[in-house]
Amino acid sequence: MSLLELRNVSKRYGDFAAIDGLDLTINKGELRCLLGPNGAGKTTCMDLIVGRQRVSEGTVRLMGTDIAALSEHQIARKGVGRKFQIPSVFKELTVRQNLEVAFNRNKDPFLNMLSFKNFKGMKRYDEITDLIGLKDRSNTVSGLLSHGETQWLEIGLVLMQDPVLLLMDEPTAGMTEQETYKTSQIFNTLKGSHTLVVVEHDMSFVREIADVITVMHMGKLLAEGTITEIENNPQVRNVYLGTEGIH
Amino acid sequence: MSANIYHNRKAQWLAYIGLFLLLALVPVLFDSPFLLNQLARYAVFAMLAVSVSLVWGYGGILSLGQGIAFGLAAYGMGMTMQMQFQDPVSDPVPSFMLTNDLSTLPLLWEPFWSTPVGLALTIAVPTIFFIGFGAMMFQARVAGVFVAIMTLAMLAAWYAMAYDMQPFTSGFNGISPPMPFEFAGVSIDPYSPTAYLICVGFLAALTLAVKLLMQSKFGLVVQAIRDDPERVRFLGYNVAYYQVIVFAISGFIAACGGLCWVMVVQYVSPTSLELTLSVSAVIWAAVGGRLSLLGAILGAYLVNGLQSYMGDELQDVWMIVLGSIFIGVVLFLPRGLVGLIEDALGYFTGKSETETATVAIERTV
Repeated sequence: MSLLELRNVSKRYGDFAAIDGLDLTINKGELRCLLGPNGAGKTTCMDLIVGRQRVSEGTVRLMGTDIAALSEHQIARKGVGRKFQIPSVFKELTVRQNLEVAFNRNKDPFLNMLSFKNFKGMKRYDEITDLIGLKDRSNTVSGLLSHGETQWLEIGLVLMQDPVLLLMDEPTAGMTEQETYKTSQIFNTLKGSHTLVVVEHDMSFVREIADVITVMHMGKLLAEGTITEIENNPQVRNVYLGTEGIH
Repeated sequence: MSANIYHNRKAQWLAYIGLFLLLALVPVLFDSPFLLNQLARYAVFAMLAVSVSLVWGYGGILSLGQGIAFGLAAYGMGMTMQMQFQDPVSDPVPSFMLTNDLSTLPLLWEPFWSTPVGLALTIAVPTIFFIGFGAMMFQARVAGVFVAIMTLAMLAAWYAMAYDMQPFTSGFNGISPPMPFEFAGVSIDPYSPTAYLICVGFLAALTLAVKLLMQSKFGLVVQAIRDDPERVRFLGYNVAYYQVIVFAISGFIAACGGLCWVMVVQYVSPTSLELTLSVSAVIWAAVGGRLSLLGAILGAYLVNGLQSYMGDELQDVWMIVLGSIFIGVVLFLPRGLVGLIEDALGYFTGKSETETATVAIERTV
């Protein structure tokens, strides 16, 4: 069953089309990698799904319903979680408070004024802090975390939302090799139980986690297939990987 | 591992309650009407500082327009008190209107014949204005310095209006109600312990309510919005809605301050809508520590106390002194004076500064 369906989606800025007639289908439980050279439209594509930017043309359907006209928080409530390219967490709050903000079924300010319970999502909190490896740092102010830990915390925030679809924009950007490896383990744990779309440049990371890869170029879909298919696709080699092949 | 007692919630509540009890004891300890009136004024300023701490320290919204709510409420209270003096039959029109060629009471003033209605308007009008103004700004995602500019411009507009609508507001001269405020048959002398205790009571109730509110999930989300509104939005919260509510609550607090202000000074003029007051409120909160309501209160008391007791010869250069204090705090004490207390308590409860930072439970107090 398709969870997310983009049909003939375009995003234009004047004469320039950042996304040009893109079709994309993500099935439930899938881990999809989105590749492409700079300016291919990967981040714009994610922005269109989460409502940060509006589509110029085409439809975006989540589980059958059109979400293109909804505002960001409404799309998030429908179960779309987004991790940003530049890690964004609440720097002055502790790790625990960060996750508390993210965990909430109830988004109404007035009801939240009456909520003082220390933390209702205890079980999920334990699971997620285990997964992202920040269990013993729960009282640390998150502004003091390392870059890798901040990335993991943001992944934790998105997971705390319990989304049906996770969009990860360059989750390993700026990470050391070891941190990247740990991140790939996190993703492999999520695979199957979650549906993920990952934008990534690091090929070794992509090899580690990907099922199906979608390659974009100039706002269009260039190729789709398994890692071997993509690596041997002459078009992909031309536009993206250069003549020297994949590193 | 002992954590810094500064971050202990129970200790925080004790400190707050201790301070307010101390303030409430002042009339028992000192029999000085002048001192009581002066401290009542400081309590009003402290309310204004609390409203800044809420909206700026917790909400990350740098509003230079807290004086709008303060001033509107001050005018509401002034009008209520003026109408208490007027007689519906023999003397229905305030004298300043007569000298400005108004022979009948303007419609705007009519509701103020009734003290309860007048008081309700005094609080409701600024609060509702802040809801509307806030909705306009935050729906359009105005943030940061642009909020400061917009609130500043709005404040200037209200100031000009109060100044120019002389027949309705008595313009530059302001309104001086001839009699003290009377409520339920009791006249509240501005120099009496009653007036003082009303101000301290307002300050205590509002501060404790905000403290409690900031400990709720709502408060946590508000602080998260301060750190990164975009992130909060993509977690499914309607950020503008939260910001409007925080802004409106801060307006409500400033309005309570305006009400009390006119009760203790028995006078209202465009000065309460002047830029100076609103900017000073931001400085009080910054000096004391905008991340702490208690800090903001201390800042208001200390800075105003300093101004009052600095000596007459320095009054001319007061703005320079105030500006220097502000620059000093921004450069050397970004967490304000309570930041010093935080570090000192951390030192004495067995933690060095860097360690306390890593185990901080509550950044905001």
